[in-house]
Amino acid sequence: MKKGLFFVLLVAIITLAGCSGSDKNTIEFWTPLTGEDGAYMDQLVEAYNETEPEFKVKHVVTSDMYTKMYTVLNSGKGIPDLSIIHADRVPSFVKQDLLEPMTTIVEQQSELNQDNYLDVAWESGVIDGTQYTIPLDIHSNAMYYNEDLLKEYGVENWLDDNVITFDEMLSMEGKLAENQFIVNDALMSWVILAQIQNLGGDIQVDGEPAVNTPEMKQAIEAAKQVADAGLMTPYGEDGYLMFQSGDVFFSTDGTWSSTGHAEVEGLNFGVTNIYSFEPDVYHNRASSHLFAMLANEDRTDEKEQGIGEFLEFIRQNSLVWAEAGQIVASTDVVESADYDQYMQSFFTSTPEQEESLYIYTYEYYPYIQEALDMYVADLVHGEMDIDEGLAEMQKFVEDKVNEGTLDVENAPDELPEEE
Amino acid sequence: MQNKRNFAPIFFVGPHIILFIVFILIPSIYGIYASFTKWNLVADPVWVGLDNYKTILADSDSTFNSQFLNGLKNTLLFVVLSVPLMIIIPLMIAVSLEHKEVKLKNLFQTLLYVPGLISISAAALIWSLIFNKQLGIVNNLFGSEAVWTTTQPYAWITIIVVTVWAGIGGNMIIYRAGINGVSRDLYESAEIDGAGSIRKFFSITLPSIKFPLIYTLVMTTAGAFNVFAQPLMMTSGGPRQGTTVLMMYIRDLAFSHGESIAGMASAMAVLLGLVILVISAFQYYAMSRNA
Amino acid sequence: MRKKISISKYISYLFLIVVSAIWTIPVIFGIGTSFRSQTEVVNEGFRLLPVNWIVENYVKVLENTSTAPILQWLWNSVFIATTHTLLVVIVISITGYGYSRMKFKGRDLLFFTLLAISFFPNVVNLIPSYKIIDILGWVNTPWAMIVPGLAGMGNIFLVRQFMKGIPMELDESARVDGANDFTIYSRIILPLIRPVLIVCALFSFTGSWNDFLWPVIVYTDVEKMPVTAGLLLLQDIYGNYRMIGQLMSSAILAIIPTLILFFFAQKYFVSAINLNSGIKG
Repeated sequence: MKKGLFFVLLVAIITLAGCSGSDKNTIEFWTPLTGEDGAYMDQLVEAYNETEPEFKVKHVVTSDMYTKMYTVLNSGKGIPDLSIIHADRVPSFVKQDLLEPMTTIVEQQSELNQDNYLDVAWESGVIDGTQYTIPLDIHSNAMYYNEDLLKEYGVENWLDDNVITFDEMLSMEGKLAENQFIVNDALMSWVILAQIQNLGGDIQVDGEPAVNTPEMKQAIEAAKQVADAGLMTPYGEDGYLMFQSGDVFFSTDGTWSSTGHAEVEGLNFGVTNIYSFEPDVYHNRASSHLFAMLANEDRTDEKEQGIGEFLEFIRQNSLVWAEAGQIVASTDVVESADYDQYMQSFFTSTPEQEESLYIYTYEYYPYIQEALDMYVADLVHGEMDIDEGLAEMQKFVEDKVNEGTLDVENAPDELPEEE
Repeated sequence: MQNKRNFAPIFFVGPHIILFIVFILIPSIYGIYASFTKWNLVADPVWVGLDNYKTILADSDSTFNSQFLNGLKNTLLFVVLSVPLMIIIPLMIAVSLEHKEVKLKNLFQTLLYVPGLISISAAALIWSLIFNKQLGIVNNLFGSEAVWTTTQPYAWITIIVVTVWAGIGGNMIIYRAGINGVSRDLYESAEIDGAGSIRKFFSITLPSIKFPLIYTLVMTTAGAFNVFAQPLMMTSGGPRQGTTVLMMYIRDLAFSHGESIAGMASAMAVLLGLVILVISAFQYYAMSRNA
Repeated sequence: MRKKISISKYISYLFLIVVSAIWTIPVIFGIGTSFRSQTEVVNEGFRLLPVNWIVENYVKVLENTSTAPILQWLWNSVFIATTHTLLVVIVISITGYGYSRMKFKGRDLLFFTLLAISFFPNVVNLIPSYKIIDILGWVNTPWAMIVPGLAGMGNIFLVRQFMKGIPMELDESARVDGANDFTIYSRIILPLIRPVLIVCALFSFTGSWNDFLWPVIVYTDVEKMPVTAGLLLLQDIYGNYRMIGQLMSSAILAIIPTLILFFFAQKYFVSAINLNSGIKG
């Protein structure tokens, strides 16, 4: 009796609730671009919609986009037509069959090809020869310098070869005024990832994650040496704000920070590469915002065509995106004269410079990044023994890889072999 | 008569039970089910039985085992540090506010309630600036040389300060209401007997607000076990994962950058739920029996 | 005797003033920061109030009506929180009546079982919860935030206990006069439990207002969002706080409605509240 009544009521509630379908003629476009970035993307979308396309674009900013993506993918409803994802997500998304290839779009829009984009951005969307994404930008680790401080200490010549070395930084040991520092520890895990490239190392061996490597150790030890010499902003202090207040020579944050630093009056700053061991080998760990289509059977061919037109429009008109501080991926934009006014054009000024931008595309990279974020500050600042930390990080990543359910659909068959 | 009695409660309790089933019971059952599976949030969960629990509880080599133990230890530490303050400070405030000669009660109460209305990210930023070594007030005022968020025990202190600052408003109001309801006669007769303020507090006020105390203790404790925003924003769980609470590990497993490990996360959440349950039940029974 | 009261009065004042000062200084600092430029934030040390007051932080936040329609968000939040609160008051008073003043088999067992279940952390229940909201067609509607919270047990716990303290003789004599449960509930019990309902209403309102995990999941439409979820969109995606002043100004704007409500409601419950009236009998 009771149960019956509840059931009736439950059904009533469910049926009472209406359905909300998304508009057939709009492209629902999700991005994780909060803050100012979202406003610039809005401008681009608005400009596109003013061209009266058949399919208008509706830009949806989501502050916790990936969690939200999982929820809609799981329920199969409300999946966006187009979205922006980060480069490091591509391998695992593809492996889980969550992405629709861009194949037909690339066929229809002939200009959407590798020649028209920065190579590294384009290639981060290629998995086993299939194009899954079209790049919007590269956002990279970058090192800002305080012009006044360099001048004050007479070391502007450090910038001559566009690479600051560990040795140059260490040469200032004991020479700085109180509460001044050479470099902060912003985005330290990205800096370490660049050093691994500088040292010729990698984060994988034959597809297995490799965190506990000699290169990783050397990279962390080198950074620790700078910290031990009292040249790095101390652990836990806000190095980003300290750079803005003019007490730090270099800030290792991102290309996008230029707009934030520009807000501070009287801060004269420029941008260069992340410090390195040798002036002729340098890398900047980068990522990329990529247009991607989450797998969704309801997406019509016409809509896909509409998406192609939007992406072509972005390719031609994304100069606005440079305002957000990002390295625009479209070469038409990057080579235009207007682009030179933006600070980040430094990173595309020469072919060598362009090659310094390094995007990790190893499938388990996200776990490695997570491990680095969790441990690297403690290691660099001497809170934890490096060997011990590296061993724990290696274990951390391996355990996560083993628990990850990538092969879950084949799990029953493959399990015996794996053991 | 018997029939009538059985039927009426359905109308009073039934609607809420439906809401409960739909919005709490079904999701919880799914969450418990997920704890026995491997699940990446997108594909269908694959049943693995007790594997997740075995790994978390018994496999001392596993990262998940050490994460769980460390997270649970830190969560318990947070509970032990924060809950007494979240009870005692608002209680003292309420007692002071209910003093019959104190004026401006509303002003004081508003001032103390406002921090709870500020969004946690803004609150964390305010306190980060206050604890900031260069810009902040704490070091300038107290001449401390420590970097608060990365040195123990200061890292915990910053977390507790933000929590207590933003969290006492609700309990304060409950206690005030409770004390307000104590009959004036009791106090007056006690005064005639020559009882001092302290004795009046212990022999009249406290026993009279027994239920508000039980209620706030149970609720505050359960809330404290679910903490994650304050440590995440104040210390990022450092130094050396010394302030990484269990909910941070659970969220990282389920919603971090790599492929989701939601089954393991669910198992940790279920274990946390059991801990909360046991402790709340213990508190409730202990408090209801005594006093 | 007289002297004793004075001493405790001064101790009370002293304590209240000290605590209020400690609690208020960060708020003033936050408000002050919302009127400071980024330059000033990084260059001046700790100062309670700005050197140069600027309103640009507020202007920028209010001007950005396409990506961040903060006034619309505030309105959404007011609607959601108010509706939620009204429904909470109805649900908890009816349910509390059922669990305290009606007799049925397994009543207390049922109550404590539900209470126990509700203690489970809900972090991994996000996906099934979303699925249910999706099935109901409530994604991007206010109902997604108004209804699920009605299932909570905390307030019912409080109301139930309060009602238990009201003497059963009241019900009995009404029943003799021919009143049924609904009449007893609405005519006798409801007026008596007003204080506890006001307290619960306040908690529900601020709880609904401050929730930020759930709304991020159930809203994509920027126009429909409540203000806490909206504020997250203003924050920097890289975790650097580019614009400290703007973050503060938006946070300050977001608390104004609750603050006003609190200020007016408090007059009410300070005079009316008497949580123990029932319990004492």
